[in-house]
Amino acid sequence: MKIKRRTVLKGLSAAALVPAVAARGNAQAGAKVLKFGAPLPLTGPLAPEGVRQRQGFDSWLTKVNETGGIKAGGDTYKVEIVYIDYQSNTPRAVQSAERLINEDKVQFLFAPFGSAAVKAVSAVTEKYGVPMVAPNAASEQVYDQGFKYLFGVYTPNHTLAQPMVKLVRQKRPNLKRLSILARNDLFPLAMAAEIEKAAKEEGLEIVYNEKYAIGTVDFSSPFTEMRSRRPEWIFISGYTNDLILARKQLREQGVTGDLLTMAVGPATAEFQNGVGALGEGVTTFAWWDKATKYKGVDIFGSAEAYADYFEKQYKILPDYSQAGSAACGVIFQLAIEKVGSIDRAKVRDAIAAMDLMTFYGPIKFGPSGQISSLKPPIIQLQDKVMKVVYPPEIAQAELRFGFK
Amino acid sequence: MIYLQYAANGIILGGLYACIAVGFSLTWGVLNIINILHGAFIVLGCYITYFAHQLFGIHPFVSLPLAGLMVGILGYATQAGIINRVVGQSVLVTLTLTFGLDLIFNNALILGFTANYRQVVLANPLGTVEVAGIFIPLDRALAMVLALLLTFGLYIVLQMSRLGRAIVAVRFDREAASLMGVNVMRTYAITFAIGAFMAGAAGSLLSVVFPIAPITGHLFLSKAFVICVLGGIGSVPGAAIGGIALGLLESFSASIVGPELALTVAFVVLIALLAVRPQGIMGREDMH
Repeated sequence: MKIKRRTVLKGLSAAALVPAVAARGNAQAGAKVLKFGAPLPLTGPLAPEGVRQRQGFDSWLTKVNETGGIKAGGDTYKVEIVYIDYQSNTPRAVQSAERLINEDKVQFLFAPFGSAAVKAVSAVTEKYGVPMVAPNAASEQVYDQGFKYLFGVYTPNHTLAQPMVKLVRQKRPNLKRLSILARNDLFPLAMAAEIEKAAKEEGLEIVYNEKYAIGTVDFSSPFTEMRSRRPEWIFISGYTNDLILARKQLREQGVTGDLLTMAVGPATAEFQNGVGALGEGVTTFAWWDKATKYKGVDIFGSAEAYADYFEKQYKILPDYSQAGSAACGVIFQLAIEKVGSIDRAKVRDAIAAMDLMTFYGPIKFGPSGQISSLKPPIIQLQDKVMKVVYPPEIAQAELRFGFK
Repeated sequence: MIYLQYAANGIILGGLYACIAVGFSLTWGVLNIINILHGAFIVLGCYITYFAHQLFGIHPFVSLPLAGLMVGILGYATQAGIINRVVGQSVLVTLTLTFGLDLIFNNALILGFTANYRQVVLANPLGTVEVAGIFIPLDRALAMVLALLLTFGLYIVLQMSRLGRAIVAVRFDREAASLMGVNVMRTYAITFAIGAFMAGAAGSLLSVVFPIAPITGHLFLSKAFVICVLGGIGSVPGAAIGGIALGLLESFSASIVGPELALTVAFVVLIALLAVRPQGIMGREDMH
C-alpha cells in the first residue's frame, strides 16, 4: 500500500507542489529498512545547491546498500531516504520536516540547504528529539541555540575568512583596498562580516561594503560604484546563480583588480560552465577537496576513493558540498554501528562523542554541534582546473593574482 | 563622470524594461485584462531562444522572430480558446483566470525545463567599449536598441495599419467598434497575440543579459506592472518612457541608498506618482 501511495504522490507532485520521493538505492524486499528524511530545495533559485546535496546523500545511499546496509546490534538495515522538495521556500522546509517526522516516520533527518533553512528546521528536530546532521550550514548563528540534536560538518565561517585574508597579506603585502558585496541572506552576510573583521584585523581598508537583495538580476549599479572606489581585492558572497551573473557583469562594467574571491559556487561545474573563461583566477573556499587525500575508517575509505565512486555515478567530480552531504550519511552510519542501535538519543550521544577519521577528514564536533576538526582548503581556478592554494601541506599551486 | 555611467546603465536596462512592459500594457489597456501570464510568456521566449542557440547555434537576435511568433500563436490560442469566454467580465475574473493559467504554465515550465538557471553563453560576445570613461556592454546595448525598435514598430503598427486602428477603436469603445464592422472577439485574440509576441521577443533579448529560469517570470511581471503604472496603461510611448524611468530610478537609487534598497525606492516613487498623477506619465484619464 505504501508504495502505491508514494507512486500516486509522485504523480501528483507537480500539481500539489509537495513532492515526496523515496530513494531506495537497491534495497531488497524483506530486509529491515531504516528511513532518513531530507527536505531539499530541488526546485527554485537554490535548486543547483539542493541537487548537489541530494547527489551527495544518494552517493552514500547507494554505497551503503551495495555494501550490505547498516549493522546495528544483531540487525542489518537497508537504507531509504525520503526527499521532500521545499522549493527554496524556508517556511515550507519547516513544514516538510514536520511531515517527514510525523507522517513518513523517518528515524533521522538530513538538514536542508543553507544556514537560514537549517536554523529554522532545527527547532523542529530539537522538539521531536530527532538527530539532524547538516551538510551545508556554516554560520555559527545556526549552532549557538543550545540545541542537542543538531550537528554540522562545516567549520565556522571565520575558519575560512581568516586564512584567506592572511594568505593574501602574506603573498601580496602591499594589497590594501578591499571591496565587499553580499547577498542579503544569513550565510552570505555572515561570511562577508567575517571577511570584513579579518581584513580590518590585518589592516586592510574596506573601500566598498554593500548588500544586494535576493533575486537581483542586475549588478551594473553596484559594480559602477565599486569601480569608482578602485578596489584591489573584491569579495562577493552569494550563491551560484548570483555569482555567475555577477562575474559576467563585473566584466561588462570594466571592473578589474588583483584578486576576485567568491563564495559559494565557483567550485561547482555550473559556475565554471556558466562563466567560461571569466572563471580564471577566481578564488573560493572549500571544506573538502579530493586533493586533501584523507584516509578514513568509513565505507568509502579515502577522499580519492569517494571522488572516484561519485564520478562513476554522476560523471562529474564531487565538490565539498556533495562530499559533505555524503559525510552526513557516513556519520550516522558510524554512530549507529558504534552503539548497535537506531535509538535516536543513543545515536545523538555517539555523534556528539565521535572522534574518527573519514574520507571527509577528521570528524569531531565542538560543544555547539559544529565540526571543530577540519582545516578547510582555499582553492583557485587556474587553467580551467580548481587547484588547492592553501594550506601549504596539500597545496597544488601558488595563489595567482590579477583578473579582468 | 560616474553619474553618466549610472545614466547609461539605467537607459540600457530601461530599454529592455520597455520591451518587457509594452505587450503587458497593450493587453491591459485594450482588453482590460491584467495578464499574469505575461512573465511566463517572456520566460518561454527565453527558453525558445536558449534552445535555438544551444541546439542549432542560432544567435538570440536572429531567433527573436521565431520566439515572438511561437509565443504569439500560443497567446492567440489562449485568448481565443479560454480568455474570450470571460473577456467582458470584471477585471477580477480575468485576473483570477490568468493567475490560474500562470500557475499551470509556470509548473509546466518547471517540469519541462527544471528550476535550474540556464544562460545563453555567446560564442563571440561583442564585449565592452569604453567611451570617455563610460563602459558600454555592447551585447546588452544592442539588445536595448532592438527592444526600443520593436516597441517603436508596435507603435507604428497601431498607428498606421488597419488592424492597429481596429485595436485602438476597440480600446476606446467596444460597442461602437463592433457597429463599425470590427470583429471584436478576433481583435481581442489578435491583441493578446501581439502582447504575447512582444513577450516572446523580449524573452529573446533578455536571454542575452539575464539567466533563465521559470521563476524569473514573476520578476519580469512585477517590472511590467510597475512600468505600466508609471508610464500609463495601454500607451506604447508610456511603456517606453516608464521602462526607461524605472531603469534610471533603479540605477541611481542603487548608488544613493545601496543596491539592496533600489527596488524599494522605485516603488516609493511609484506610490508618490500614483498620488499626484494616477493615470501615469503618458496615460489618459479617460482610460481609467
